[in-house]
Amino acid sequence: MTDKEGSISRQDEAQLIGRARSGEREALRQLVDLHNDRLFAFIWRMIRNHHDAEEICQDAFLKAFASLDTFSCDYRFSTWLFTIGYRVCLNRMRRKRPVTSDLEWSALPIEVDNDTAASLESEDATRLKEQVWAAVERLTVPQRATVLLFYRQSMGCHEIARILELPVATVKSHLHRARNRLREMLESLRDQDLEQFRNLSTRTG
Amino acid sequence: MRCEQARPLFDAYLDGELSPALATELGAHRVRCSECRRALALMQVSGHVIKSDPDEATVQSGFTDRLLACMDEPEPRWTHRFRRAIYVGAPLAAAAVIAAAFLGYFDRGDAMVAGHKVEGVQVTAVDEAPTPEPKAAQAPMDDAAARRLEEWLNKTQSNVDTKQKSVQSLQESLDLTIGQWLDILNARKARPEGETHYPGSEELAKPDGEKPASEESDDVEDL
Repeated sequence: MTDKEGSISRQDEAQLIGRARSGEREALRQLVDLHNDRLFAFIWRMIRNHHDAEEICQDAFLKAFASLDTFSCDYRFSTWLFTIGYRVCLNRMRRKRPVTSDLEWSALPIEVDNDTAASLESEDATRLKEQVWAAVERLTVPQRATVLLFYRQSMGCHEIARILELPVATVKSHLHRARNRLREMLESLRDQDLEQFRNLSTRTG
Repeated sequence: MRCEQARPLFDAYLDGELSPALATELGAHRVRCSECRRALALMQVSGHVIKSDPDEATVQSGFTDRLLACMDEPEPRWTHRFRRAIYVGAPLAAAAVIAAAFLGYFDRGDAMVAGHKVEGVQVTAVDEAPTPEPKAAQAPMDDAAARRLEEWLNKTQSNVDTKQKSVQSLQESLDLTIGQWLDILNARKARPEGETHYPGSEELAKPDGEKPASEESDDVEDL
């Protein structure tokens, strides 16, 4: 995963937002390019539908730009954008029935790190991956969002609490319950597979 | 460390928030206890898969251009019309509904008022001339009731006649001239005590057993 946001300092981000507020098109473009991949990945993992995820991302950016004057530079722009994106996503999920994945894994445009790909290409690893993601999909919406933001977006509990608009203690509780549910759902894994994957994950970091 | 002491520490252990001393204790327990070892391993593995899975969906190329084009696009004309219809039409529709409700209320109110008026006239008519016609019209009357009604009407009529005569005689007595009043006074002085006579006073005298006028209204009510 790339971390394009990490390549920009808080000061540069504040300047960029200032230019975007004045309507500078290039600043808006930079903001979109900086955050679209991360936001899209999060939304897609939440709803598992490529078309809907892109629409939600677009809505989130449009809403963010429309109310850019209300953004406080005390927070990261990504936190604010994820908050809007999560709200739009929740509204969409309430309107629609839960969807199953419409995507073939093999057809995904995938950013692959060569070393990691080599270590995870075994059949066992693929099976484990499918089991884990299937278990993640069965978590409740707040638990899933918490797990994705914590592991996938490497966010802390405080930042997750701001995005989900929940108390920090509630976020920690969601994370704790999600871990236990994942453990329960993966109980069928053989010890041998588990040990093998632990060795793989230790090697790949 | 026992399992029940170790399990609450799993989250802090996985997040690296455990103090070195507790982490060592938990590590020692993990070596000894296969159940806790397996539980921790499952949590670590699932977290690791979620964190490091390289399969990631990305936005289709041209997303930024499409987004910026969306911002530049003027709203479709139908959207403008729809909004105008909402902004202008909604208050007008609300006003129309309120007006319709208002008028409907007063239409109904008129009818009710008209109904009351009709009833009021009927009541007034009963007060002025206490005829039992409305009641008679409402329900068929048997012969006995008809006779009682006829008797009451005759009695009431005679009372009214007597009353009219008394009023007439009083009126006549008030019409006496001063000279006539002086004659009456002189005549009173000339007569012995207790034989005073006023002109028309014989008409004022009530017949025996006749009720005073104030009680006549009770008769009407008794009917």
